[in-house]
Amino acid sequence: MDKFIVNIIHRPEMVPEYAEKVTGHGKEENIGRKSLLTESLDIFKFQQETAHKNGLKTTIQMTYASLFNEEAISIAKEHHEKYGDEIALSLLGLPCEEFREKYKTKDFCIWMFSMEDKKSIVDDVFGKFHDIFGFYPESTGSYYMDAELVNYIKEKYPMVKCAVATCWEEGPKAYHTCNNSWYTLMDGGPWNPWIPSKQNIHAPAANEAEDSGIVAIPHLSRDLLACYDGNGSNFGTHPQNVLRGMIYDTKTWEFPYLYNLIDQYRDLEKYNNGYAYNMMFVGPGWLNKMGRWEAPYELLKKSYEDGMAYYGQLKKEGKLTDMTMAEFADYFRQKKTYTEPECALWRDILYGSDKQLFWYCDPYMRACINMNQGGAIVDLRPYAAKLKWEVGIGTPHVQDASYPFLIQEKYRAGYFTHYAGEGTVRSAKLTYNGEEVDLCLCRTHAKFSEEVIENGKKKRILTLEPVDIEFYDLTVKLQTRVIFTEGSSDIEMERTVLSMSNPDAVVDLNEYIVACYGTTEYPEDMTSLTLTCKGKGEEKKIDYAYKCREAEIEGADSVEAVIPPIETKVSMRTSDEKATGYIREGYAFSPMFTLGYKMTLKDKEVVSTWLKLEKAN
Amino acid sequence: MAQAGKGKLNFRCPSCFMRDLDIDMFYDKDKKEYYCMRCQYVGTEEDVLEKNEMVRFRYKDMYKRFTKFDFD
Ligand SMILES: [Zn+2]
Repeated sequence: MDKFIVNIIHRPEMVPEYAEKVTGHGKEENIGRKSLLTESLDIFKFQQETAHKNGLKTTIQMTYASLFNEEAISIAKEHHEKYGDEIALSLLGLPCEEFREKYKTKDFCIWMFSMEDKKSIVDDVFGKFHDIFGFYPESTGSYYMDAELVNYIKEKYPMVKCAVATCWEEGPKAYHTCNNSWYTLMDGGPWNPWIPSKQNIHAPAANEAEDSGIVAIPHLSRDLLACYDGNGSNFGTHPQNVLRGMIYDTKTWEFPYLYNLIDQYRDLEKYNNGYAYNMMFVGPGWLNKMGRWEAPYELLKKSYEDGMAYYGQLKKEGKLTDMTMAEFADYFRQKKTYTEPECALWRDILYGSDKQLFWYCDPYMRACINMNQGGAIVDLRPYAAKLKWEVGIGTPHVQDASYPFLIQEKYRAGYFTHYAGEGTVRSAKLTYNGEEVDLCLCRTHAKFSEEVIENGKKKRILTLEPVDIEFYDLTVKLQTRVIFTEGSSDIEMERTVLSMSNPDAVVDLNEYIVACYGTTEYPEDMTSLTLTCKGKGEEKKIDYAYKCREAEIEGADSVEAVIPPIETKVSMRTSDEKATGYIREGYAFSPMFTLGYKMTLKDKEVVSTWLKLEKAN
Repeated sequence: MAQAGKGKLNFRCPSCFMRDLDIDMFYDKDKKEYYCMRCQYVGTEEDVLEKNEMVRFRYKDMYKRFTKFDFD
């Protein structure tokens, strides 16, 4: 049942986000400029024509401004009839004279308005759409849609079944790239379509009660390695983003990277029951006649044509199914169970590093396992908490829509830190005769497999190639398996000693997680956290006060941390009953906490440690 | 000295691009050079284009077409 689906989306944006600012330079602001409107519509026509030429149907996301433009309306109607394009409604592209008149603001991102304004804008836009087309749209979207907004839309307009709801890892890194002037802070969400929960849009619903009623799709399909490290807007299924990243040959205007990216997304069907997905959504501002940065219009145009031609070719070869957003939502609902995770074993396709990551997303977590660091967890979002996190004016998070992390190797150092302190990571250290080796230093690769458990559920297993840990007079061959059990919020790390150069040797193993919480690069207040070490009839507790304290219990049942600001409890337990559990507080220069287990390991031994995420009220 | 404006294309600063910053440069028509407002980079169009080739050093696989995405 291999299926690679693409959603092609176009929006007639009468005042493209970039066009006014970038191409209108040297002129007084005037969003009603006739030339701007004409150019915007021309771009939309070009995009539609390019898709149709390649036999692809589109979803036309009408913008509020375009609902005042008769030509845009008639094109939408005509293309719906002729090509089966869906007429949908975007919450992007609000700015126009009518909007500014009514709302007296230059804000244009729906999630940043007050709840009152969100409702009023949605009613205006949906109402206007209905007046014109005689029906309500089934699909909508923006760069980000908060849960409260989606809940309102679903309640008022229940026919809506699909929405563009986030842009993968468009957060502090994108903000930084724009010299801190582009306020899309929305890290921590899924990279591929999901059924969002009513509580938090990033977190998939665990069951029907949590189901928001829509299928969410990401804005673009983004490089799961390059976007995590660098500017997200350079590495996605958006041909002009690839130009923005300068990932093209300036002489031949070729950019194999875009096709590698599409092909790697196609390859993800191996990890997702034969299903793979792509989304292309290029706003008109990217195809303007003045060119964009170093790229002249001809190159912008060529890149769009080439990208679309590649999808068209795949379709002709029977390797791609084009769908409208609403069609996709129906397909997705019929194939997806709530607990089925989205998995992606992803390799570097740009820098020549052979790095490999594994991304896992389900209703309880989003996790990234880094094979270049021995299978360490380098990013972890505790969806189990289904954190209520309202955004927009009048809430505590006017712009910050990210789902908080417990581990984030780029914002909280990870394994390597400067001189002092620790960074967030879930790894293990092996010690022998005073020498210590962290698995983060063991570069390797992994294979993916599945194991059926009960009720059609499965375990997803990452089996890492064994690594050699070399001490002065001992070599240990160790294999790690990382196991995700569907429907549970545990991550199991299993270590097997395959061989030891001295079969009688005993090494010490320290399984640990260093974590904190946050959404940005800056530290948060840790004083409300509590750390607990639980033994049989014994309990040791530390109330976080940056005092660098530590406690341990031999044979501990579990070690736990409760993080009230993100309503999360994280805990560890191990299969080795004799292992010593420990908790460690940080200090001001290292505002982290550590949970871990120390145990011994002999030749041929196998030991598992589970990390568990729960909601803490 | 007259005010600066946009050049032929709105080139970004190659030096800032290397640190993941997209900064449009402005063009000084008297000196025939682009300059960055954020950092101290100054250069002719020729120099900008040359430095843009240089920033691609990290894309070792930019010309490669992949057919395999796992290491099995
Ligand atoms: Zn600069």
